Amino acid sequence: MNGLRQGWLVARRELRERSRSPAFRASVVLMIVAVVAVLILPVLIKPGGTRNVGVTGSAPAALAATIVQQARAAGTTVEVHRYPTLTAGERAVRQGHLDVLVADAQRLEWRGKPDDQLKAVVTGAIQLATVRDRADAAGISRGALAALLAPVPVTSVQLGSVPGHGPGDETAVLIMTAVLFFGISVFGQMALTGVLEEKASRVVEVLLARIPPRTLLAGKITGIGLLGLAQIGVTALAALVAVAVVPAIDVPAVRGAVLAWALVWFVLGYALYATVYGALGSLGSRVEDAQSVAGPVMVVIVLAYFASFAMIGQPGSVAAKVISYFPLTAPMAMPGRIAMGATAWWEPAAAAVLTVATIAGLVHLAGRIYTSSILHTGPALSLRDVWRRRTASAGAIEASAHDAEVRRQPVDVTARESTEMTGTDLATHRVLITILAGAGVVLGAAVAVFAHDVIIGVAAGAGFTAVAMQMVKLWTRHTGPPAAHR
Amino acid sequence: MSLLPAQDAGLLLPELGLGQPGSSPTRRRHTARDGPLVPRSQFVGPYSPLPGPAIVGVRVMGMLGFDGATKRFGALTALDRCTFAVRPGRLTGFLGPNGAGKTTAMRAVFGLVELDVGTVRWRGAPVRAADRTRFGYMPEERGLYPRMRVRDQLVYLGQLCGRGPKDVARSVDTWLERFGLAGRAADRLDALSHGNQQRVQLIAALVGEPDLLVLDEPFSGLDPIAMGAMGELLSGLSAEGATVLFSSHQLDLVQDLCQDVVIIEHGRIVLAGDLSELRAKVPERLVEVRYRGPAPDWSRLAPGAVVQQAEDGQARLRVGGDTDVAALLAVTRDRADLVSFSYQPPTLSELFRQAVAA
Repeated sequence: MNGLRQGWLVARRELRERSRSPAFRASVVLMIVAVVAVLILPVLIKPGGTRNVGVTGSAPAALAATIVQQARAAGTTVEVHRYPTLTAGERAVRQGHLDVLVADAQRLEWRGKPDDQLKAVVTGAIQLATVRDRADAAGISRGALAALLAPVPVTSVQLGSVPGHGPGDETAVLIMTAVLFFGISVFGQMALTGVLEEKASRVVEVLLARIPPRTLLAGKITGIGLLGLAQIGVTALAALVAVAVVPAIDVPAVRGAVLAWALVWFVLGYALYATVYGALGSLGSRVEDAQSVAGPVMVVIVLAYFASFAMIGQPGSVAAKVISYFPLTAPMAMPGRIAMGATAWWEPAAAAVLTVATIAGLVHLAGRIYTSSILHTGPALSLRDVWRRRTASAGAIEASAHDAEVRRQPVDVTARESTEMTGTDLATHRVLITILAGAGVVLGAAVAVFAHDVIIGVAAGAGFTAVAMQMVKLWTRHTGPPAAHR
Repeated sequence: MSLLPAQDAGLLLPELGLGQPGSSPTRRRHTARDGPLVPRSQFVGPYSPLPGPAIVGVRVMGMLGFDGATKRFGALTALDRCTFAVRPGRLTGFLGPNGAGKTTAMRAVFGLVELDVGTVRWRGAPVRAADRTRFGYMPEERGLYPRMRVRDQLVYLGQLCGRGPKDVARSVDTWLERFGLAGRAADRLDALSHGNQQRVQLIAALVGEPDLLVLDEPFSGLDPIAMGAMGELLSGLSAEGATVLFSSHQLDLVQDLCQDVVIIEHGRIVLAGDLSELRAKVPERLVEVRYRGPAPDWSRLAPGAVVQQAEDGQARLRVGGDTDVAALLAVTRDRADLVSFSYQPPTLSELFRQAVAA
């Protein structure tokens, strides 16, 4: 019986049980519906078909014909209706029969927000018709007028922020980064609740009597990861089908290599965060502990996402380079840089190696945290508790094994020490928080000066402080009022 | 009158000098600076041979041995140089007050608790991961996957023991049938009644067809009928050659079921061995008498007799172990209108109370 086979059994159970749950099936269907809707809706909403324009009051004779002409030139069809009175015309607009009413050839009346394209068409037509009327009055010949009014072709080009990559590419990268963020946080949290559920239902003791804790954690993360890949795959397949069936869908072209890298980074990002989540999950005792335990990691993931998001426009900047190498942000930042063509061929590989090394370290650390806290019951542990327990030097903590028996006895004094703060602890804690806040301000100011941008400076300072505070919380679990004891 | 010190009882190992009969029974608080309770070197080396030929045979068949097992949690010593053996083919009851260290000791068998000093041995060698796939465990805090189907999760747990899926499925079906749960196999666990969930939990421990079964309070929460069934099951399994260790607070039940007992208090083994031998060794006997009519002066019935209880036509006294039973019966019959008379070694409850109070 080897660990690999046991790990696979664990992973297979996750796959089977989770894919069977109604909640998961509903989420798969919802994802598909949402993605397909996002693809198809713009096609449906896209202005098309015949627009209705009403004309009332005094107007140049040729106005109706000119409007139709101009519309044809702009690629739409317009039907012009004549209304005897302003009231009748306005009623038609209010009832939705007309898109716009031209009153006295000088006022456009809309039901809501003006449609820019139609507005341009109608305004141009009014100008043209009026100029023609005036030219006739001034005795200018039709031929001379045509020469005067011959259109000058003006084209527009979308440059985007990076040479060779238009705004369509940026949209694609935006979507890709969002999908990575979504996938990593959703499936990472699934690993967290999975660990907590096993702990809360106490099945974990039965399991750990048969398999080593690391195998259990690794199998769980693998199973949920495979499930995540499957869900993303199914959704992508639905999107491809939608694109194939409805040719009008406007999809930014993304190269295959970029997609392959995105997949690799999803796996790496998920592995990294799920490992952390899984280890932290073992600190809690009940499913309700999930939020407090997950908070710090969530802050880090959200910040990593915002940073990657903000850097899409400047993939060549130093900041973008840094976050695309830093293992916690790389999974969301690097795919964007690859897609924007801002990386040398070896850069993604180097960042991937760095991330894999970090994952290896985290797996080791997570295994230790998980192993030493998974059998603990009672109030949620802090990382400091776990550390103390590992080193076994301080006598403040009772370990899990004994809790079960000792909890019923009045001997429990020691357990309480670990979660209630003493006076000196509180003082140290306040000092620590002040120092961290100060460091955040200093860092923010430095970044602001360096980047010549106050907003980036504030963001960096606030981000640092938030992460640092969350880490302190995780370490001591003492930021709030003392937790209630069971 | 105190009981024999633990070292002299049954299976313990006097040459290791592990117990400390003279030491204070209150738990000593160790600090980190104290260092290990016992020098590590004392427990390194081959498993100390247990005396007697029976043990040698036992070791071949499979036997669980605690060898100087010590575990501290901070200042608290949960296991203090525990040394005892659990033999196959005999039911072993593991007794002790709450917090005495039973759960910790049982968890140590499965590596759920890492011992500071000492080892747990299986067939003479320290327990390895591969051995554990042949162990069955029912933790004190019951738990399975509440939303997973009964049969699926039992098959899963069986497969984790390294057995093939078909093999496991067959075994699961047999057990479900035997516990009358065949009809609930496809239900989610949380749809089952509390009693049935307990049965599933027991099957989870049995499904790997273990050589060693460790059950933490298997009788707690059972109704009298289920208790009877559980007792029969455990006796049956041990009769088939399995090694069975279970903890319990129901001393009468343990006395009826078990051939061996281990009593732990404050992390120390205070009594261990063959139950009837342990009872027989106690140099006193219990006399229970039912009678009609006026009560005689019980204390003058036999030299050194101590009256424990005397009321409403019944009396219980303690006498020395060397008392002549026939003479005692004759004297009693002379003094009172006798209905019944029994002369027995002390019950397990008595043994337990004395061992724990010592």
